[in-house]
Amino acid sequence: MRWHKRLLAAGAVAALTLTATACGGGKIRGGADGSEGSTQPGTSQNAQNPSSAADATFVYVPNLDVVTDWDPASSYSNEILAMQNIYESLTRYNPQTKQAEPRLATSWTSSDDGKKWTFTLRQGATFHTGKPVDAAAAKAAIERTMKMGAGAAYIWDAVKKIEAKDSSTLKFTLKYPTALDLVASAGYASYVYDTTAAGSGDLKTWFGEGHDAGSGPYTIDTWEKGKETELTLKAFDDYWGGWDGPRYKKIAYRVTPELTTAWQLLRGGEVTFVARLNPQLFAEAGGTPTVQAAQTPSFQNLLTLFNTHSGPLKDVRLRQALQKAIDYDGVVAVLKGAGAPAAGLVPEGLLGHNAGQTPRQDLAGAEALLKEAGYGPGGKKLELTLTYAQGDSDQEVLVTLLSSTLDKLNVKLSAKPLQWTTQWDQAKAKDPAKRQDILVMYWWPDYADAFSWFVNIFRSEDPISFNLSYLRDDAIDKRINELPQLTATDRDAAEKAYAELQNKIINERAAVAVPYVMNYQRAFAKSVQGYVDNPAYPNVVFVHDLKPGA
Amino acid sequence: MTAPVVPDAAGAATPALRRTPLRWLVGVDRLAVAGAALLALIVLAALLAPWIAPHPEDGGSATHPLEALLPPSAEHWFGTDQVGRDVLSRVLYGARTSLLIAVAVLAISGGVGVVLGVVAGYAGGWVRDVIMRVTDVFLAFPALLLSLALAVVLQPSVTTVIVAIAVTWWPWYARLTASVAASVATRAFVDSARCLGVPAPLIVFRHVLPNSLTPVLVQLSLDGGGVILTAAALSYLGLGAHEPTSEWGLMVQQGQSLFTTNWWVVTFPGLAILITAFAFNVLGEGLRARLTR
Repeated sequence: MRWHKRLLAAGAVAALTLTATACGGGKIRGGADGSEGSTQPGTSQNAQNPSSAADATFVYVPNLDVVTDWDPASSYSNEILAMQNIYESLTRYNPQTKQAEPRLATSWTSSDDGKKWTFTLRQGATFHTGKPVDAAAAKAAIERTMKMGAGAAYIWDAVKKIEAKDSSTLKFTLKYPTALDLVASAGYASYVYDTTAAGSGDLKTWFGEGHDAGSGPYTIDTWEKGKETELTLKAFDDYWGGWDGPRYKKIAYRVTPELTTAWQLLRGGEVTFVARLNPQLFAEAGGTPTVQAAQTPSFQNLLTLFNTHSGPLKDVRLRQALQKAIDYDGVVAVLKGAGAPAAGLVPEGLLGHNAGQTPRQDLAGAEALLKEAGYGPGGKKLELTLTYAQGDSDQEVLVTLLSSTLDKLNVKLSAKPLQWTTQWDQAKAKDPAKRQDILVMYWWPDYADAFSWFVNIFRSEDPISFNLSYLRDDAIDKRINELPQLTATDRDAAEKAYAELQNKIINERAAVAVPYVMNYQRAFAKSVQGYVDNPAYPNVVFVHDLKPGA
Repeated sequence: MTAPVVPDAAGAATPALRRTPLRWLVGVDRLAVAGAALLALIVLAALLAPWIAPHPEDGGSATHPLEALLPPSAEHWFGTDQVGRDVLSRVLYGARTSLLIAVAVLAISGGVGVVLGVVAGYAGGWVRDVIMRVTDVFLAFPALLLSLALAVVLQPSVTTVIVAIAVTWWPWYARLTASVAASVATRAFVDSARCLGVPAPLIVFRHVLPNSLTPVLVQLSLDGGGVILTAAALSYLGLGAHEPTSEWGLMVQQGQSLFTTNWWVVTFPGLAILITAFAFNVLGEGLRARLTR
């Protein structure tokens, strides 16, 4: 589920554990067997000779386990890396044009009121099970996803009815207007798959055994949970996009938690693509002739969520003081390109981005607010708890700078690095006293739209899921609920609504601070041709689009 | 970690330290003297950190993001870390944290362990059984694992580290003391005291305890390094000292992924851990060689 994707860096800690517990014998995978030099048969060989193109293998290095959920209906985690190469949705988002483009659907129309959408499906596409991809199959898949209601299934909330008019015409009737072409391009829960793949058996169990029922260019070859090369995919020969010209016919996912190791593997030509390095290693990659380095703005920002419901931060003045204490420029300076200054909650490139809302450090202001609340230098000592992602060196920079600044303001920050599941469980604790005061996490949208930040994080919730500032505000809820319809019908009004909401949430309620927006920094083999980062699908490489060059 | 070595019965009966320990050591082991000298130097550095650190404010809460990761230079002998702090200053301040932890852990676990051990050793019977079974329970867990578990439950801080390590280390001293005390308790001067009607607590603490201390002292000095290593490991895992406290393990953890590009961030605190643990070990070995001969 979602937490894994939020913690791509967390795996790094596994290696830390191993080195640190040399006498304790921590058994966490990744370091001991993942050290350099242990060549993977059949993968490194091809990566080293990418010009022997016939069945070149694309070796992707994630720093966290790849697969947690094989079911395309509920998958909401790191396996997106593989799923997007195995499964397809009706449309795909193009960050250049900022529009949804054809994928399994070749064209689509919507009624004037935005409540009826008709998609025309591609002719000749087949599932890996051999069954043709037709409107009835697409209807069955999306309906199953909606019915299960897991993961990102909420994206289909606007859908009232789906009809398969004929084999290639899929008609959606909506409850309220929504940009359904954009929804259909989502990174999760949007997949079209063969719901009959398991025959009379249980489909979820069948998926769980490592089978797939997609229509994409690749299909599962081997899957060994816990192995260093956890997953390999092989070409699906009948793919509608064809296999003309040089293509990568195989993909291997080689889990390497330690950034330095990942970099050494890439430099040594053993792997093809590393999704994340630290700024220093990325700079080294830029100066290495056998490697390409690419930096792209992302839709992923870091959120510092303040506990508005219980504990000392119930006092809005203290939350505002914390907002002012963050060294925004300092964090961005230290990240050296891996982070860009944030403005508001919504990253640049999405409707709702509020360019004017750039936060600044203001220590005098922070001190004044603390004093007003009875704390600060000379006042009571304020003790706060903070949780963040274990092993994420970027978040660590924020924590270091913040705790140092707060130390000067007579605020003691106890920061605890945790695995996401632990961090999340603590944040969701039934007893508010057990929750943290400050939670640091990444967020990115499920499709290229700002709605996700608001509906998932700041709309009142009971029980708590992702509303981890515990904000409860009927007025804010009401405005959030209006957003999808406004976005589909009146973009100016939507823009205004987003600006107002951000002002309310950030300035008035001070529920959150946004220290920076990530820039994705990828490093990959020189031989890879045609790579374009698509921030709507974080960390995904659409391998079929690439050419293995010399 | 060094496993405590239970000295043989002969060792248990060695005389207490003489008046000039240093000269007494010289005769034995030059390396041990070097260890003691090194340790003295480290203690001195820790005590004088605010005066000898080139950028004392960097040992605390100062940050200079624009001077991040500068290589070693005349201005910053050990370079700067990822938020621009002087690594030398932080290493010096880190000595304070590490030594504080070592002293506190050894005092707590040594104190508790010795008292329980000497009582168990002298009393024998069911008292000894109960105390020894409790130590068995603690010793059944790998020390670092138990410390880790404790540190996870508690809020990370230097105090947490001290408590977490002390809880797992006292059983060693209890066992060691118990075995020595048991043999001391059978000796003639203890019998004489008993026959003269000296009350048991007085026998335990005036006669048995002083004569059982030697191997424990050796063990304590040997363990100083182990405590510092364990504390560093806990901080390294994010369960110990936290920012902006200067702590070597924490510094190593933060510098680790920079090793190939900015070696100085991880190397100097790493060396500090190595040298301190080495000094303790060498000193302990020297003491053991002399005292248990």
